[in-house]
Amino acid sequence: MAMEVIEIISESEGLSLRQRWANVFTILTCILLMLTGLNLRNQVLNATRLYESPQAGITAQYPQNWLIDTSGEYVFRVRDMSRSGFKTTFQVSVQPVGSDAQERNLADRLSLDRIVSFTDYRVQPLEMYTFPDGREAQAMHYTYVSTDASPFLESVPTVVRGLDVLTISGGQAIVITFRADADNFDDELPRFEQFLRQLQF
Amino acid sequence: MIRRTLYITTTITLLLILSGVWINAQQDSGGLDLNRIRRATVFVIQASDNDLDTRCVGSGTIVRFDGLILTNAHNVVQSEACPGDELIISMSIDPDEPPVPKYRASIAQIDSGLDLALLRIDRELDGRQIDPDNLPILPFVEVGNSDNVILDETLTVVGYPDPGNSSTDAPRVSIAAFMAEPGAGERSWFKLTSDSGISGLMSGGGAYNQDGQLVGVPTSAPITTNTGTGTCLQLEDTNSDGFVNNNDACVPISDFVSVIRPVNFARSLIRSASLQLSVESLTAPVAQTISDEQPTVDRLYFATSVSNNLSTQVIASAPAGTTSLYLFFDYFNFTEDTVYEVRVSVDGVPGQIFSLPPVRWSGGTNGLWYIGSSGQPWSNGLYEFRILVNGVVAGSSTIRVGGVPEERPSFSNIVFGLKDDQGILQGESYILPSGDEASARFIYRNMQPGTEWIALWYYNGIPIGGTGATGIWTSDDGVNGARDDVTIRPDPRLSPGNYRVDLYIGSRLSVTGDFVVAGTPEGVLPNVFSNIEFLRAENAFASPNSSPSNSFPDGANTIYARFDWQQIARGTLWTMQWLVDGDVFYEETSVWNTDETGADFQVRLTAPDGLPDGTYTLNLIINGVLLETNQVSVGIGQLEINRLEEIGGTQLGGQIVDADSGDGIAGATFILISEDYSVADFVWDAEQIYAMAVADTNGRFEIDRSLELESPYSVYVVAEGYLPITQDGFLINEENLAEAGGSPIDMYIPMTKD
Repeated sequence: MAMEVIEIISESEGLSLRQRWANVFTILTCILLMLTGLNLRNQVLNATRLYESPQAGITAQYPQNWLIDTSGEYVFRVRDMSRSGFKTTFQVSVQPVGSDAQERNLADRLSLDRIVSFTDYRVQPLEMYTFPDGREAQAMHYTYVSTDASPFLESVPTVVRGLDVLTISGGQAIVITFRADADNFDDELPRFEQFLRQLQF
Repeated sequence: MIRRTLYITTTITLLLILSGVWINAQQDSGGLDLNRIRRATVFVIQASDNDLDTRCVGSGTIVRFDGLILTNAHNVVQSEACPGDELIISMSIDPDEPPVPKYRASIAQIDSGLDLALLRIDRELDGRQIDPDNLPILPFVEVGNSDNVILDETLTVVGYPDPGNSSTDAPRVSIAAFMAEPGAGERSWFKLTSDSGISGLMSGGGAYNQDGQLVGVPTSAPITTNTGTGTCLQLEDTNSDGFVNNNDACVPISDFVSVIRPVNFARSLIRSASLQLSVESLTAPVAQTISDEQPTVDRLYFATSVSNNLSTQVIASAPAGTTSLYLFFDYFNFTEDTVYEVRVSVDGVPGQIFSLPPVRWSGGTNGLWYIGSSGQPWSNGLYEFRILVNGVVAGSSTIRVGGVPEERPSFSNIVFGLKDDQGILQGESYILPSGDEASARFIYRNMQPGTEWIALWYYNGIPIGGTGATGIWTSDDGVNGARDDVTIRPDPRLSPGNYRVDLYIGSRLSVTGDFVVAGTPEGVLPNVFSNIEFLRAENAFASPNSSPSNSFPDGANTIYARFDWQQIARGTLWTMQWLVDGDVFYEETSVWNTDETGADFQVRLTAPDGLPDGTYTLNLIINGVLLETNQVSVGIGQLEINRLEEIGGTQLGGQIVDADSGDGIAGATFILISEDYSVADFVWDAEQIYAMAVADTNGRFEIDRSLELESPYSVYVVAEGYLPITQDGFLINEENLAEAGGSPIDMYIPMTKD
């Protein structure tokens, strides 16, 4: 019985050019899709909505899907209702001031008003703040403790950090307020600065 | 592909909602929403300002969404027994748990005589002021009409039974009798059956009918050092000596509640407190000496019927089957702090039904008073009525009920008027103008010729001579009929003041009547008050800056009313009544204490934020007779309708949890979008939202506004790190509400991580 020899030939040739291009294209496509997804996500997260108040002469771009409220003693207020704990808040209000008043007087007035209504309200020294268009203002940092208003719920108080940008323009004081949970304040600050950059008054 | 993914996602979300929203029954679906009532019931602590030591305690009820609390005045007003000056409001977070302090409050309106007070929640527990806009919508009860309560009706009394670990108690009681007093007539008090056993600490709480409406305020013996009732508890080391003993302040606890003050007495207080209206008389009173004499009673007698707060006929006995009986008496030197009590015994056995427990006095300093009951049979027997003033017996009288009606000579139904030129009596009233004479008209029955009778007249309590047909009854006078020739002609004239006539048959008082003389003759009624004018001011401290007007269409911060008066004697009781849109919000009966005649009596009507739009009416009254009225329109002339004041619908709450772990999601937001918008229409504008709630540390939330039935709301639930949940057509109707077991609806909402 004759032995049959089976020859096994190993094909050790590399990927063809076509295959290589296919791999590269796949990887690039994935990267492109990821970038597109990230871009879409950022667009969604950073999407803004326009607010205009002809009466107050204020135009603003605020984060989309934040709850806007114009019924209080302010021009408008927007809050991120998805936040756990204290709802991050941007607020713009206008107050009449005397011709001799300066930002510091306004800051004092705000502090005195808040002292009787905010728990453990503490204010930091005023700082200079410059708007993108070069206008100067004063910035006041403060903290207080916020609790749920409902007497029938069991909530733990949260520490809130706040920042007021105060400026006097055209015989009226404009107070732009940013408040957030102390743990989220630094994370949210860029978004507020973006809000300030787009704010027109 | 995208469409398919969206379809699957939407389906999963809906399934999650439909499977995850569990509705739990909390209460019966009847009208009595006991859960809501218990949540609206508060524990009131009166504490000292310095160290907040507890001084007095009681129950109260929130009657408006913005934190108005109805309670007893004796629980909250500073007094010898209750010297505290801070009011702490405690609430039960869970109705089955004891209350915990939540807020501070201030007195908004008070009537010490009626023993009613309205408190307003205005500060946080740490003393910080509460911005009214930031106060949550609190659970409140609907104020019903206490005139609709009937005998033997079952009411539910809700309050805190003790200052310890108990939650609210809600025993059911029956109305055994209505007690009558001047001013409010037959329904001055609801008397409870003797076996009610309601703790004195529930005084100030609420009594509810089967529709869940507040119809009364359970009221126990007010706390005084003289009543000899109640007890007190040593709760705290108030003198900080390390021990709790007799040297520490004692918290007084009242006896069991046996009467209910009908809630209609509180309506004007609630009205003025909710609108924050205040009325103040600015015309300076003439200085007077305050008497320090002890309160006394005199001239006790009985009657079976009452007309214009006077007995129609004085009786010495009542026949079997009598269904109404009243004890009349004169009182002197009483004050709002006076506590009076009526103990009734039948054949020597104390009878609870017709007895009145110690209550605060609401009748002014001096006058004529009555207490009694009608509409139910008085069993045969010898009744003894004993009046206790500040815990001491001040007078007593007896009457026998039983036998057949006696056909004795009698006088009854006395009224007063003036004779015209033809000698005809004009007017039948209890207020007459000053002049030369006054006459009494009365009915006589069974009078036989030869019967002796006499009329005795009094002016401000002092006997004066009278003229008229007194002496011996003649056959010409007739047996039965009416006569009006009993006349008083004092010398020199009929001066302003309080008059009384007693008509005796033999030595037996048969009828008595009081009337007031004031003003000048002008038609049937006297001209006492005139020229009511209204002026407007910029604020409560500014002088009027407008000409008199009956309309201020652009609004008013403060209104001054002024009027002229003539010939009103000092000591005359007069009533100033204010209404807004037809509802009384202020009524005060006081003693006239300024010049007899004058002009521009000034009254200020104001509110902290300016007067609400509405039509305001000022009524000036003496002896129940409206003598002058005028009204002024402010703004649109009608009160604004506030939908938050409406009660009804259903309460909604629940828990938002992580779908995997079941743990509550703290900070999750439940948004109820108004029926006018769908989820697709929702652009995160607060104006589109009907109500919103944020979950607590356990994921629990509560919608503070009632949901209207048959309104298709939309729901949006968001939480950081979770996929949002949305649903349109969230509708509650009678059918599915009944299936769910009634209000409140308790939802269970699982959320999936993002």
